[in-house]
Amino acid sequence: MRDNRKGGALTEVTFYILLALHTPRHGYAVMQFIEEKTGGRLSLGAGTLYGALNSLQEKGWIAPAEGGGGGRKKEYAVTPLGREIAERELARLNELAAVAVEIIGGARDEQKVLPVLLEPDGSPGKVAEQDVGQGLAAGAY
Amino acid sequence: MSDRGWRLARTEKLLYEFEPCGPGQYRYCVEFVGHKSREDADRYVRFLEDCGCRVFFKNVNLNWNVGKVEVRPWAEKGGRLASNATTYNRELLIVEKENDGRPFELHTTCEDRARYLKDCRRPVLFLFVMMAAAGIWKRSWLAGIFAVLALAALVWYQIALAKLKRRSELEEL
Repeated sequence: MRDNRKGGALTEVTFYILLALHTPRHGYAVMQFIEEKTGGRLSLGAGTLYGALNSLQEKGWIAPAEGGGGGRKKEYAVTPLGREIAERELARLNELAAVAVEIIGGARDEQKVLPVLLEPDGSPGKVAEQDVGQGLAAGAY
Repeated sequence: MSDRGWRLARTEKLLYEFEPCGPGQYRYCVEFVGHKSREDADRYVRFLEDCGCRVFFKNVNLNWNVGKVEVRPWAEKGGRLASNATTYNRELLIVEKENDGRPFELHTTCEDRARYLKDCRRPVLFLFVMMAAAGIWKRSWLAGIFAVLALAALVWYQIALAKLKRRSELEEL
């Protein structure tokens, strides 16, 4: 898996697998967890999941669950190292989200005004002038 | 066959046995596992079965014999010896899954698809080198034809890999 360990960035697949295995699960349950949590947007093939689980096991981020739930199906669980990696990824995403809200959040407020104020060529539109006038009168801007 | 209401029941070297089912009730994928060890192939089959699939082994050739041993320099970990007791005549998996209305794919990320294509490409590359060498050394037209066919397959794999690489640069999956 192409996880950027130095920079801390995980692929979406890796992060979801680590999250799924905070509770011991077998392969099919991991697939179901990811589909359910992403509303079907991310659907992993069994071959892909098999490769990903092997790769994460080699890295020591997950391990076969002790006891294995008593069933025939092999269960996996996140290791302390895997948990730490997931927590670091969460911190990285939080930091990214904070920057994104700071930038996109502000731009979104401006967008609410801009389509009303400007024509496609950038000049003030008639509707916009009217709205601005009414808005100014009403104290909206 | 599945669309016509037939479900795979059994495979032999030349034989496929089907049983009636609802039209389109099952979906199938074929996967090459000739490069894996017997243990790894069995582990993979168990995993697929755990995921709700039914799996059949299938041979890629019709070499009727007992006690066959084959050198596979293209297999994982620098090559393997395949015998009747391991993966000889068990090079393919036919994987069956009940149709849930969504496409049935075993490999869904660009990275994993590329890895699988590379695994499939290695025996073709080996075939090309052997046939090209035999064609030149023995001046054999037959070996030359096989070499050209292998080369065409290699070009196809290369194009598919290049497309996946381009796609992986645009999207994470």
